Amino acid sequence: MLKQYFDLILYKTYADLRAETERTYLGFLWWVFEPILFMGVFYLVFGVLFNNGIERFTQFLLIGLVTWQWFKSSLAHGEQTILANRPLIQQIYLPKIVFPIILVLTDSVKFVFIFVLLLVFLWSTGSLPGTAYLALPLVLFVELLFILACTLLLAAIVPFIPDLRFVTENFLTAVFFMSGLFFKAAETVPPHLQFYFYLNPMANLIEDYRHILMYNQLPNWTALLVIALVSLAGIVFSAWLIRRFEFLYPKITA
Amino acid sequence: MPDIHPILSLHQVGVFYRRHRGIFGEPFWALKEVSFKLHAGETLGIIGRNGAGKSTLLRLLAGIIKPDRGEVQRSGGYRTSLLSLNLGFIPYLNGRENAMLGGMLLGLRRHEIAARLEQIKAFSELEDFFERPINTYSSGMLARLGFSVAFQADPDILLIDEVLGVGDAQFNQKSTLAMQEKIKAGKTVVFVSHNGQIIHEICDRVVWIENGVTQAEGSPHEVLSAYHKTLHL
Repeated sequence: MLKQYFDLILYKTYADLRAETERTYLGFLWWVFEPILFMGVFYLVFGVLFNNGIERFTQFLLIGLVTWQWFKSSLAHGEQTILANRPLIQQIYLPKIVFPIILVLTDSVKFVFIFVLLLVFLWSTGSLPGTAYLALPLVLFVELLFILACTLLLAAIVPFIPDLRFVTENFLTAVFFMSGLFFKAAETVPPHLQFYFYLNPMANLIEDYRHILMYNQLPNWTALLVIALVSLAGIVFSAWLIRRFEFLYPKITA
Repeated sequence: MPDIHPILSLHQVGVFYRRHRGIFGEPFWALKEVSFKLHAGETLGIIGRNGAGKSTLLRLLAGIIKPDRGEVQRSGGYRTSLLSLNLGFIPYLNGRENAMLGGMLLGLRRHEIAARLEQIKAFSELEDFFERPINTYSSGMLARLGFSVAFQADPDILLIDEVLGVGDAQFNQKSTLAMQEKIKAGKTVVFVSHNGQIIHEICDRVVWIENGVTQAEGSPHEVLSAYHKTLHL
């Protein structure tokens, strides 16, 4: 039974990605162009106009933006998946958890393209891969766990409280500015607030990426382990929640 | 009816929705007290006027929702699903891809639907269009593809809402015939309609539901004449 849904998840992911490439003239090139445009804006404002004194700031900034966007887009799209598939789930039985999973997968595939582009940029501007790269898959995996936990949780609740979307949108913007994309926490954040700053998993993960990609340093293992465990607990809890409401979602009136 | 175990039975089943936003607000009972049995191989008709609770009943039978009171008993191992056309179709993808997707959504395994693609292509008479995006289809072509996919899904218990065939006159006849053949071949079918005539033609037994309550259950002749009596009062 699980095998069947696994096949469906993979095929639907493929189908959604293909539909996205078919929708525009430039197709899948947009997966690359769009983030480049987006990053270009931030580079212009914070890399050129702001003088912040951080060495290799473009690299510093782009690593944060690319890995943040993966998190943000999965969450922003994923929270609506169960609600948006209402016509479908009123026609057939499907475990509702497949919808947010499919979304996280499609966004992750797109992220892979952008991430490879980021690596090429880093290599061509002087940050060559070192031994710390061995830890990179692990950091990526932990971020994926964290993304899944947040997306599943929101996807489970948003159908009941659609108003939550406005809250998450602004909350995400707040977290965006507090994840250290534009500054070095060690130098900028007051010492007594550092503890709180690092309660944000994204702040930790972004710093880990920079350590590995720019400074050839290993990530903070303790923080990584904590994030992984909390995310796993979040995934289990959210999956339980979705399972619990399985037969309630189709009854939600528009 | 031979006296065998029913493969599905409803016992005083009720289902409610909420009147307001989402799941809040006072309950509205779409089904209040519905009871009947479904036996293997029979074609059971369900008749009732608009708003009688037929769509809710189909969702319940398909296992999409659970009853809020009463009991639904199923013999294990049967796959029940609604005949749904164009389920989950994506406009930018071609007929083949949508057939794959639709088939998998209807519960077929990947290899099962892949093996039936040529049959679907042939039955739908789409020919070259099968490889083109479905947003280039006419509505008749789309209906042909939708029916051909849904027809292949072939669950153990087939639930049909209102119509047997679709498409232009010629394909409508073809699809209606195909459905009727399947029904006659001993498939277990629940056919929901407000049209007494079709029910009379294809059903072995009929259940009449009004305002979410079972009014009568029995042979098409008995139940339909009772139904029509109230209709013309």
